[in-house]
Amino acid sequence: MLTLANLNLHYDKTAGANTRKKTGKKKRSTQVIFDLSLTINEGEKVAIIGPSGAGKSSLLHHIYQELTTRAALCSQRQGLVDNLSIYHNIFMGALARHHWLFNLVNLMRPFKQNLHDIAVLCQQLELDQPLTKKVDQLSGGQRQRVALARALYQQQDIFIGDEPFSALDPLMTSRLLNTVLAQHNSVIMVIHDRALAMSAFDRVIALDKGRLILDSQQQSIDQEQITALYQTSAIA
Amino acid sequence: MKTLTKLFALCALTLSLFVGANASAATFTFTAIPDADESQLRTRFEQVALYLSKQLGVEVKYVPVKSYSAAVTAFRNNQVQLAWFGGLSGVQARRLVPGSQAIAQGYEDQFFKSYFIAHYSTGLALSERFPDITDKTFTFGSKGSTSGRLMPQYYIEQHLKQKPQQAFKRVGFSGDHNRTIVQVQSGTYQVGAVNYKVWESALAAGKIDTNKVKVIWQSPTYPDYQWTIRADVEANFGAGFTDKVQAALLNMNSPELLKSFPRSAFVKAQNKDFQPVEDVAKQIGLID
Amino acid sequence: MSQPKQLQPIPSLKNPQYALGYWQKVTLSIWLIALIILPFADIEIVNFDPFLELTRMANGLVTPDFFATEYLWQAIMQTVNFAIIGVCLGLVLGAPLALIYQHPLISSCCAFLRAIHEIFWALLFLQVFGLSPLTGILAISIPFAATFARVFHDIINQSSDSPLESIDSRADMISRFTYGKIAQVMPQLMSYTRYRFECALRSSAVLGFIGMPTLGFYMETAFRQGNYSEGAALLMIFIALIGTIRYWCPPKLLGVYLVIACVTLIDIPHIDSSLLVRFITHDILPPAIANAATLAEVQWSSLTAWFSALFLEQAVPGAIATITLALLALAATHFISLSAHMMASKHLWPAPLTWLGRFSLLIGRSVPEYILAFIFLMLLGPSMLPAIIALAIHNGCVIAYLVVKQSNAIAPQEMQISRLNQFNYHIMPTIYPSMMALMFYRFEIIVRETAVFGILGIMTLGFYIDSNFSEIRYSNALILIICTALLNVAIDIISRRLLKFEQTSQASC
Repeated sequence: MLTLANLNLHYDKTAGANTRKKTGKKKRSTQVIFDLSLTINEGEKVAIIGPSGAGKSSLLHHIYQELTTRAALCSQRQGLVDNLSIYHNIFMGALARHHWLFNLVNLMRPFKQNLHDIAVLCQQLELDQPLTKKVDQLSGGQRQRVALARALYQQQDIFIGDEPFSALDPLMTSRLLNTVLAQHNSVIMVIHDRALAMSAFDRVIALDKGRLILDSQQQSIDQEQITALYQTSAIA
Repeated sequence: MKTLTKLFALCALTLSLFVGANASAATFTFTAIPDADESQLRTRFEQVALYLSKQLGVEVKYVPVKSYSAAVTAFRNNQVQLAWFGGLSGVQARRLVPGSQAIAQGYEDQFFKSYFIAHYSTGLALSERFPDITDKTFTFGSKGSTSGRLMPQYYIEQHLKQKPQQAFKRVGFSGDHNRTIVQVQSGTYQVGAVNYKVWESALAAGKIDTNKVKVIWQSPTYPDYQWTIRADVEANFGAGFTDKVQAALLNMNSPELLKSFPRSAFVKAQNKDFQPVEDVAKQIGLID
Repeated sequence: MSQPKQLQPIPSLKNPQYALGYWQKVTLSIWLIALIILPFADIEIVNFDPFLELTRMANGLVTPDFFATEYLWQAIMQTVNFAIIGVCLGLVLGAPLALIYQHPLISSCCAFLRAIHEIFWALLFLQVFGLSPLTGILAISIPFAATFARVFHDIINQSSDSPLESIDSRADMISRFTYGKIAQVMPQLMSYTRYRFECALRSSAVLGFIGMPTLGFYMETAFRQGNYSEGAALLMIFIALIGTIRYWCPPKLLGVYLVIACVTLIDIPHIDSSLLVRFITHDILPPAIANAATLAEVQWSSLTAWFSALFLEQAVPGAIATITLALLALAATHFISLSAHMMASKHLWPAPLTWLGRFSLLIGRSVPEYILAFIFLMLLGPSMLPAIIALAIHNGCVIAYLVVKQSNAIAPQEMQISRLNQFNYHIMPTIYPSMMALMFYRFEIIVRETAVFGILGIMTLGFYIDSNFSEIRYSNALILIICTALLNVAIDIISRRLLKFEQTSQASC
């Protein structure tokens, strides 16, 4: 599905966004990913872990760029439009499935079928708010679930998530994670909870300072190794 | 979003309205350059329109304008067919609309004149000779006025042998005869040129403090305001229409109507009466 | 003059000298430039006894006569009609342009169209459409469309890209754009449109000065003729109209108002296409070309002579006066904005006093500059000074009004410090950059507005343009209008080069 060979990524400070520069260095950019090689196969459920600043998000966004036509992204930045309702924010996931005229009309007057689909989806995600509510009136956890719902509503083959549950409690996290895993063939997710990563995913990848240091596909790893990783990083 | 779409639809509607709108049946329209007293100008001129309508047997409308050049433009574009012009604006209009004629002028307009007025601090007094006003500050009236600009500038250039910009310390255009009086009276400008009719009505109305501002010179006489009519009215309103309009104007003797101009009566006029104005305008470079 | 207390972020430990901050440098250079050109500017105060006239003005102000104006209701209606239709048409033309504004050709065209004052647009359209409402509406909507294009483009550009990121990349352009961008900035677009509506009301009134049947028509006459009671009444009506927009024109009713405006608009006279043809093929051509039968007969030498005379005798002196006036007005505007902002800030005064402050801001920004200059002309005499003061008061109050809106939204710091310290150390440093950005944006407007004073007799480019219109020399007027626009475009480019900061134009006028 995806093969990365000797990938180097730079973070461009001036623009404040990831730029994929495989060759050449810009003055004010710092390297975030070093010589990373990785292959992900169809149907794999991959968790990416690592201490903060390890380059997880950069890697994930890079992966999304490579898989963009087949994948739904649920990014940490959420990308919710504050002035739109819950319904419209979730509907944004389906923009590609409809003609632009349909989308425009829907912006003014929601269609019954979509309204129904999205109501079901919200129920699944335990989001019990009126669909007409503007998202700027929601709590952090609710906003996160709206962003998640939008990614699910894209109905893609691959789900790419950047800590999509960080604002939720552990029980809800595992329930929603199961929903996500059940609805997608492949899942690539940066996840904060190491235990959950170990238990719910087929494969765990660990990053530290921009380098791939652990991959459960090549070596079996246990909880202690991972704990050690977080500790050394904290000391350094 | 909703509002925006609504807006767009309505704007389209507006545009279609523009396209649909069209002129109504032939109405004889006239205008008068703003001059003396402009309060209730429309109300007063609508009386004149009513009078003309009765005399001519067609619908007559008055269009208010703000400036001399707007009156000329309206006349040129056939938005008005008859206009009460000043000397200069009449000449400009008749040059732009071939065949148009001056048909009547105020009795006073045959020998119109300008006053030069001065603030008391200049120490100037009324004299027969052209006063020594070099290096004073000076204000004309409106840029397109005959009595407030054209003729005064002509006499200044005649006597001082210089353009006003060189002759005076500062040259201004007050925009209006009444303004000229106010500005000279308050000392904003030391000397000014003003329409004698406006000066006299302001004096009668008690608006002038003669201790502060006085007339220091009066110009020789020249022809000024007149009624000018377009040539194509004959085609649009029937043969002999020009004569009918002329007769209606000459017969206007109600003091109520005449007060708007303000003239004591209207007398016949023709284009060549205004040749002196045209010559002067050419000489000082206001028309080519 | 008071200098703002600017805070340097963190003084470097290695360098004990306290270098000037960016905004200090900008502020000081504005004042330095003003001081340098001051000796060359015509700011003489000449007046002997203005008191008779001033007494009459004051008298008029306290005895407003609301019944002196004929057709008053119609004038109010037409003022609103022109503004509403003008803004809507401006939106229809300008909003699509905002999407392609990044194209240099579009943006420079817009800058050019914007640079021409509504009055000049109206004077041009007057030749083609005559005294028709079309003249007034187009005169408002064309420069407004160009402004909408620019500001909408800026607003959309400043919006976040993150919603777009999470939209499926296969979705079509239009859907991505409406959901990801437009929906995001809709409230800003709406609030800017509402603000422009206020500007359109002002423009609509100003068009009355040259003959459109709006409030300005009667206002100008009343002041010019010294009917101060009538003038004061009209001014009060106008200020009340602007001050209460949000009560009588909520965005939801805009559609209704638009329909009413279209229905109650005065009749549009028949449009004669031959006038347009004549205007383009004869009026605006230089006399040497217009009078020649064929191109071969054109006397090129007389054409060059005509152009160089026009350029040297009118365009150059006019441009110098325009720039001098605008730069002095900029410094004065800076002073007024600072003090007016202080006057109306809720961080400094108890609520009732800020209402008073805000009311004076309303008056300052609603009274047309023309009327302000008119009053100061009586007081100070016919130099540049009345125009500088009028521009400073008007623009200073607009800037202060926008800045007060922003600064009142700032939460006060939870520290036990006095109001004044709070204001100087927290509010001012926070708000100062956006105030300066607004001011530089306003500079473009100041240059445009100098045109109005030309009509009042101050020798800016506007004066020469007005003279040429009154002498029926449209070709000369057109050349000078183009010069004015190019001057504005040049100023815009230079100020963008010199000042490298994000223009927060979304709240600007």
